[in-house]
Amino acid sequence: MIWNETKECMSRDEIRLLQSARLRKMVDRVYHNVEFYRKKMQQLGLEPGDIKDIDDLKKLPFTTKDDLRDTYPFGLFAVPMSEVVRIHASSGTTGKATVVGYTRKDIDLWQECVARVLAMAGIGKNDKIQVAYGYGLFTGGLGLHYGAENLGATVIPMSTGNTQKLITMMVDFGVTAIACTPSYLLHIAEVLEETGKIKDIQLKAAICGAEPWTENMRKEIESKLRLKAYDIYGLSEILGPGVAADCDYHCGLHVYEDHFIPEIINPETLEPCKEGETGELVLTTITKEAIPLIRYRTKDLTSITYEKCQCGRTHARISRFKGRSDDMLIIRGVNVFPSQVEAALLEVTETSPHYLLIVDRVNNLDTLEVQVEVEERFFSDEIKELEKLTQKIKNVLQAALGLSVKVTLVEPKTIQRSEGKAKRVIDKRVLI
Amino acid sequence: MIKQLSVFVQNEIGSLASVTSVLKKHMINLRAIASFDTPEFAILRIVVDQPEKAKELLSENGFAVKMSEAVAVELEDKPGELDGMLHVIADAGIGINYIYSIVLRNGKAPLIILNTDDLSKTSRVLKEKGYIVAEQEDLIT
Repeated sequence: MIWNETKECMSRDEIRLLQSARLRKMVDRVYHNVEFYRKKMQQLGLEPGDIKDIDDLKKLPFTTKDDLRDTYPFGLFAVPMSEVVRIHASSGTTGKATVVGYTRKDIDLWQECVARVLAMAGIGKNDKIQVAYGYGLFTGGLGLHYGAENLGATVIPMSTGNTQKLITMMVDFGVTAIACTPSYLLHIAEVLEETGKIKDIQLKAAICGAEPWTENMRKEIESKLRLKAYDIYGLSEILGPGVAADCDYHCGLHVYEDHFIPEIINPETLEPCKEGETGELVLTTITKEAIPLIRYRTKDLTSITYEKCQCGRTHARISRFKGRSDDMLIIRGVNVFPSQVEAALLEVTETSPHYLLIVDRVNNLDTLEVQVEVEERFFSDEIKELEKLTQKIKNVLQAALGLSVKVTLVEPKTIQRSEGKAKRVIDKRVLI
Repeated sequence: MIKQLSVFVQNEIGSLASVTSVLKKHMINLRAIASFDTPEFAILRIVVDQPEKAKELLSENGFAVKMSEAVAVELEDKPGELDGMLHVIADAGIGINYIYSIVLRNGKAPLIILNTDDLSKTSRVLKEKGYIVAEQEDLIT
């Protein structure tokens, strides 16, 4: 079903006109309300009046995650705090979180976008949906929750961490849809198979996102659980989940162009890529009030097509993501930058700053091991002291990353040093 | 009191041999060896004839090494000897962290090596009860 046919099926000309009008208003708003953008535009000799339609978008400066860090916590907010009704936060590249805010209207537009995604997956008010993304500062849980309520479905706010309870309720309640990371869904499928409960479930659709996955994973999920699995994309800086999602035809993710303008750029030259060419996705929010962002560099690599989809929707489609243009890792749906680990380890004086991250996938769940070197001057000959040290490092890292971590102490000077950029990450996950 | 070396080693194949090969190369004689392992790593504790030299060599070879003192007590090779000594320590209110032994000593009595909460008190109470507490020099052949 198409949730908002008027908006999702507009002609390309109408989309262009709507985007241009909304862009003009948005640029005018940020110029007057956000010092950061006013200064950036002034440096480029730009005034709001210079932005007439979406062709002028390329004149505008980019925004990066570092800009959010530098203006932490609320420097990019375009409304007074009295208008902000919600805060979410995600990992920054170092110790500081990336903080975003929402006005009541922003929450409305978010739940509109997520309702579109769910409707696109055939979910409606007669469905019971388990939201098994984390609830809290992470946008996944509450984003899907509000969207599903807006749709009128029955929402079961499972959050993460208790697979047994999730399965019991899935069977007992006759749950028909689930929203979670694709790797977690595969894990759920395995537990269902092991316990013999797989025959008792009534799932028909799954909304999977927050981490990269492949067509093969989709096929595996669909055949094991006998349901249809859909891909949802989003990032807290722009909105949270619901920026884009795929339809029944699985031919790319529709970007909700009445709210976001996508561009694809070459991450080296920053020049626009041609339609179909892979580059970095850049998004401009044109309706967000609390924290509107101009040309936000997502660092996600993809390509775009503006061809009308067989499903009838006209919004541009981005292909499955092909990776990142930075070193961010997505582990169990949580964004992790190696630089965060480095910053956290500096707090622990007993270890050297040399570390190695080993990311793996065991039983369909991501694991993160952090190897750190034992420094001779802090080496204790008592196992309990070393175990205390391991626990201390573990606590510091878990607090910094928001993710459980296995810490392994290794012998001094065994972590590879290299002349140039050190190899800090071994990602053993094979996405096939 | 004697000197022991503790070496941090990862719990993987060949890691102990990498320590002993450094010692062998420089003709350092091992008097006692014990390893205490966890799933991830182990601490190898050794008593050698030249502890300072061994520490320097192992550090140069990239190992985390710590030199510390331990109490070494002579025990006769007969039933109940260890039990008697352990009671002396327990009665003095001293906690034992770990214990290992040197058995072969060219005809001399076996040595039990102890690490406790209070090394000098341990050594003192044992001497008071007539135990022979060895010094580093006693370990040189």
